[in-house]
Amino acid sequence: MPVLAAVPVPDDFEVRTNATFEALMWALSRPGTVQALPVPGMAGIAEALLDRECRVFCEDAALADQIAPFGALPVPLPLADHAFLSLADLERVVQVLVGADLYPDEGATVVAPALFGTGQRLRLTGPGIETATEIAIDGLAPGLWSLRAARCRYPAGFDLFLISGTEVIGLPRSTMIEVL
Amino acid sequence: MTIATLTKPWEAFSYGFLDASAKRELRRRMLKAIAVPGCQMPYASREVPMARGWGTGGLQVTLTLLKPSSVVKVIDQGADDSVNAASIRSFLSKVSGAAETWDTLAATLIQSRHRIPEERLRADQVLVLQVPNPEPLRPVEPNMSVARQMHADADYGRLWLILYEQIVRSGRIMQGASYPALVNGRHVMTPSPIPRWDLPKLHMAQHLTFLSAGREKRLYAVPPFTRVDPLVFSDVPYKVEDHAALTCHRSGVTGYFMNEIPQGSGGSVFELSDSHLGIKVIRRAKGEDVALGATWYENGKMPQ
Repeated sequence: MPVLAAVPVPDDFEVRTNATFEALMWALSRPGTVQALPVPGMAGIAEALLDRECRVFCEDAALADQIAPFGALPVPLPLADHAFLSLADLERVVQVLVGADLYPDEGATVVAPALFGTGQRLRLTGPGIETATEIAIDGLAPGLWSLRAARCRYPAGFDLFLISGTEVIGLPRSTMIEVL
Repeated sequence: MTIATLTKPWEAFSYGFLDASAKRELRRRMLKAIAVPGCQMPYASREVPMARGWGTGGLQVTLTLLKPSSVVKVIDQGADDSVNAASIRSFLSKVSGAAETWDTLAATLIQSRHRIPEERLRADQVLVLQVPNPEPLRPVEPNMSVARQMHADADYGRLWLILYEQIVRSGRIMQGASYPALVNGRHVMTPSPIPRWDLPKLHMAQHLTFLSAGREKRLYAVPPFTRVDPLVFSDVPYKVEDHAALTCHRSGVTGYFMNEIPQGSGGSVFELSDSHLGIKVIRRAKGEDVALGATWYENGKMPQ
């Protein structure tokens, strides 16, 4: 016989997705800071955000199988509102949805693996950053940032989450990125 | 995929009242709202046990963020003890097990109607403002499709026209609350009906602010360290309410936003609008060990 708890207790799913969202929220609010995800990898992000209302593109077949139960419709990249892909080559990036001035919310959320602390140094400015901040990111295609600048004509654009294990860095379209 | 994988054990209600799909939708919209500061993002706005227009938008954002370790403060016109604030706060703790507080310093999550606390918010705090009318262009353009196009074009000239007409008619800007502000140099937002006094608190703030309108089904955000510039003319500077010299008759503090209380004699006395700040000052005067946070305004002035 199930009983009604006097104090509501979240189940594991709720705890996990709530913590994942909080990490994503602070990552996007403070671009360049490293936030901690409760579970490593990209599937946890899909679990916190995706359901049958979403159209998803997933490059990696194993990950696609993992996120299939969440119910998002698998679509080609130019139709996807959420994209899980590798940014090691650029041909995908030109297909990512950026929305429009009229509908900025149609810009996609892109989740990609990367390495933090080594490689290309970047200087970030914009909302969420008091003056400027510097980060180093590796594992991405060299021309990515100039292509992003060309495609993200604010307020149109896509929002990027870079994942390394349980670490996430958010780069919203509002962030200006200078390649050092 | 089997039926068993698609269902879950019986629960009396979802943790935090909202079901998982409502939370996922709000999460997606909240992320987009942060990515485009000040831009209104549509969302479905679920039913909550409260009438639309009484803070259901703020409530849904708060419910999405709640976890057992949250400490929630809810204010209504600056007061923690009004019926609306007390009811929302007790609902929030009842459905989540989160702690309740009146103290701005102790809160992790502050839901507010019409005021931003006088004590500075920290980087780890989230402010959720309830918004009755999220569309700054509604007074000049009732058609929301046209208003959307005006936002897309950053076509905000008619908002300046309203302010100009107020100056011509009355000699000064009469807009008391919901003063339109340009966010991140691109989108004009209405900051919800906070007084002019509170608007500078959003500019380059440490904390994250969500503004959510449940009846109008739109939410928007002001991330930390984001420019929030009230619309002004270069020769008519932005002016906050003339409260710097007023003194609270209960706590004796000067230099904050006050409520005016008319008296039978025809005069009026003033009391702190941020009621818990007043309570803390009074308790401190009685010798209790109460921590007062740094305030945005110092001696009635906002430091530049």
